[in-house]
Amino acid sequence: MRTRCRISPVVMAAALLPALYGCSRPGQDAGASSASASGNELTVLLDAGYAGAWPGGLDPATSTTGRANLTLMNAVFGGLFQLTADADGSNARVAGVLARDYEVRDDGRTLVIHLRDGVRFTDGTPFDAEAVKFNIERDLTSPCTCAPTAWPWRREEPVTIPDPHTVVLHFTRPYGAVVNALPATNVNWIVSPTALAQIGEAQFRITPVGAGPFRIVSNQLSSKLVLERNPTYWQQGRPYLDKLVFQSIGGEQAAMQVLQAGDAQVYEGMTSTPLIEHAMQDAGLAVTQQPPTSPYVVQLNTAHPPFDDKRAREAIYYATDVEAIRTGLFRGWYPVSQSFTGPGGLFHHGTVPGYRGYDPARARAIVAELGGLHITLGTLRSFVAEQVTTALQSQWREAGIDVSIETHDFAVLIREFQVGKWDAMLQTAGSYDPEASGGVSFRFRSDQPFTGVHDPKLDALLLDAAASFDTHERDGLYLQAAHYISDNAYGPFLFAFASTQVFARDVSGPGLSTKIPAILVNTGIWWQDVRIAAR
Amino acid sequence: MTADAAATSATRMPLAAKPGEASTGRSKRSRFGPLALIGGRILAAVPVLFGVSLLTFVALNVLPGNAAQQLLGADATPEQIARFEAELDLDRPAVERYLSWLGHVLTGDLGHSLASRQPVAGLVAERLPVTLELVAFAFALALALALPAALLSARRPHGAVDRLTRIAGMAALSVPNYVLALVLVLIFSVNLRLFPSIGFVPIDEGFWRNVKSLTLPGTAIALPLFGFYCRFLRNDLLEQLETEAYIVAAKARGVRSWRILVLHALRNSAFGLLTIVALNFGTLISGTVIIEQIFALPGLGRLLLQAVLTRDVVVVQALVLLLASFTIAANLCADLLYAVLDPRVRHGHR
Repeated sequence: MRTRCRISPVVMAAALLPALYGCSRPGQDAGASSASASGNELTVLLDAGYAGAWPGGLDPATSTTGRANLTLMNAVFGGLFQLTADADGSNARVAGVLARDYEVRDDGRTLVIHLRDGVRFTDGTPFDAEAVKFNIERDLTSPCTCAPTAWPWRREEPVTIPDPHTVVLHFTRPYGAVVNALPATNVNWIVSPTALAQIGEAQFRITPVGAGPFRIVSNQLSSKLVLERNPTYWQQGRPYLDKLVFQSIGGEQAAMQVLQAGDAQVYEGMTSTPLIEHAMQDAGLAVTQQPPTSPYVVQLNTAHPPFDDKRAREAIYYATDVEAIRTGLFRGWYPVSQSFTGPGGLFHHGTVPGYRGYDPARARAIVAELGGLHITLGTLRSFVAEQVTTALQSQWREAGIDVSIETHDFAVLIREFQVGKWDAMLQTAGSYDPEASGGVSFRFRSDQPFTGVHDPKLDALLLDAAASFDTHERDGLYLQAAHYISDNAYGPFLFAFASTQVFARDVSGPGLSTKIPAILVNTGIWWQDVRIAAR
Repeated sequence: MTADAAATSATRMPLAAKPGEASTGRSKRSRFGPLALIGGRILAAVPVLFGVSLLTFVALNVLPGNAAQQLLGADATPEQIARFEAELDLDRPAVERYLSWLGHVLTGDLGHSLASRQPVAGLVAERLPVTLELVAFAFALALALALPAALLSARRPHGAVDRLTRIAGMAALSVPNYVLALVLVLIFSVNLRLFPSIGFVPIDEGFWRNVKSLTLPGTAIALPLFGFYCRFLRNDLLEQLETEAYIVAAKARGVRSWRILVLHALRNSAFGLLTIVALNFGTLISGTVIIEQIFALPGLGRLLLQAVLTRDVVVVQALVLLLASFTIAANLCADLLYAVLDPRVRHGHR
């Protein structure tokens, strides 16, 4: 009896040893323990807190999370347009998918979209201008922030269809970002009007019908979406995959283990620095860091003390050591930004002349001159933002600034802006096109709800830039706006953050193994072109 | 309170009050049989469920934000939020909304999700089997491990097996189940590739695949339970063996020690264990939230978390009501089982 008892733990330890040994050496023999795709099926993991949450379903007109669910939407609906780029992320441009091409007329007041010929929805009905018009008009009634209701649509007949393959959008004034912003709006995703009428709106939220590369097999909201190849997809030989499964998962640590166990092959938008490094060391995994478009900015509330005083704002600029945060927390992966653009986006300029850099002595002197500076720094709850606010707090304290940190949920953040008593907020300000939703206007224009700046001159610059279709003119105006923001110390920019794709080495495709800038937060993967290498 | 102390106090409760009246003091009612017991419990459950639903509603309304804000996200304008609130009927007074919900529930209609507009009953029906199967699996595994371990420990107190199960039990109790889950995945999915790290396979798609998909999440839930049940049962068995007269009588009759342990002491100790298991049941379903999230299981716990995050009040209220009903039903089942196990309860004798 005694002997048996002594053996038990030994046997247990012997059984667990190989496993534990494997755990302690992640880099070695990792090929044997990491994700690889099986057959022609792919399982994609999505963060349950963002891209992996689709509580309202996937109907573009009724979902309220379409922008976060960009990847699901593109897989099911294909999209009229998608952002593409060369393999290294350069030469980014909006390209037609279900639309053949587009032209801008009437000095930017009219956008003509030419549709592809012979495209059909997966229910067999034709994908034509009538369907697109029906969709756009329906989508504009959506409460989703992804509905482009703020575009300057013509009141009467905003959409016309001169022929079955042409759709014309009419605006009251030019809107320069219309094409660049379109791939992240719900009007980009076209559903079958016939299927909608047949199924009914309630069920259509769960199993919408599109003309994209995949069709829905099953949809468990915010949990699991199972798709199969659309055999009638317009592009010959596409998609390559037979089956595509999107699985929502809570936590990046758990996601990494699932990839290493081989139960999934892709994780979209990883943010944790240690886990990205871990993936880089794993021979079975590949990592693509996408070109950043959205810089972090410390918004300062200029309507409210202490930041109604320019000196207090300057102190924040001088007290902020961006390089230390960038290298200390993020291994130097994300480039420093001095304005509202990132290297992956349009109209990017790496530096802004006269930008106030790190100068703790000057920061301390200003704080002393002000007789002290007590502020609250808020942010939206997220791994990266919370790390950055902690770093800022420590840097600013060294300059004599007394900083309290508040981390908010959506609702509290919204209320803070509504009440208007906040001091400073760490946010992102950017998108592929600076004017597109979540871009510079969103954070700096007086008429926007989430701004801390109320300056008519800056408003005019941003409005002029948004109204122009002339690339050179827009570039000049945004450079002026960046200058103006810097000169007035309206908010220090930190670094341009980008999400990271982690995936099995035998998987490849645009936006996954190649670089495409994020149109807003996530990169749009071209699922029709994703393939698994023959093994 | 330590596990041992908790175990000891829980053990004494049914013994002191006599089995069958541990938590309810229903000795008179038991004379009218199980139907009266069920009827009485259902009547008593009504105010409990009402209170639970009211508290949930108040709590969700006190929290900042609502479904409209959560669903539209951080870049929604106040106008967009106001429009959506009206669409979701969230602009109506809270009391009116609660009474309307209550009225529908009384007619058997759990309402429609604010987020997806799907019937809540359908969402529950879709997710309930996953959670029930997970919880049943965890209970079965915990009991299957705890029973023999407790019997072996009680047979030779302070012996090698007792010491080993004490260490294993304390370790299982000390490690949070989400950490345990990650360790299990690391060992059995990443390194040994024995079990899937995520997902649920329904039983109609293959029995073994179903069992495999539940093994790691079920184990992550079962191990802490094992630790608790094992200590609890071991202490109770020892108390029976050392203090009860019927054990002395059995020994005097020459009954073999294993027989005394399994047929006499265990049967009496089962009352305490049954109480604990019944009390655990309701909390365990709620406790699946984290495990279902880690293993991406489409169960009630995950639905509850998603509903809380989106402030989907209708879904949260329905689920809380359901979980409270489960807890009440589990306790009722325990009481009925007392009657099965103990003839004194069955026949109304004290």
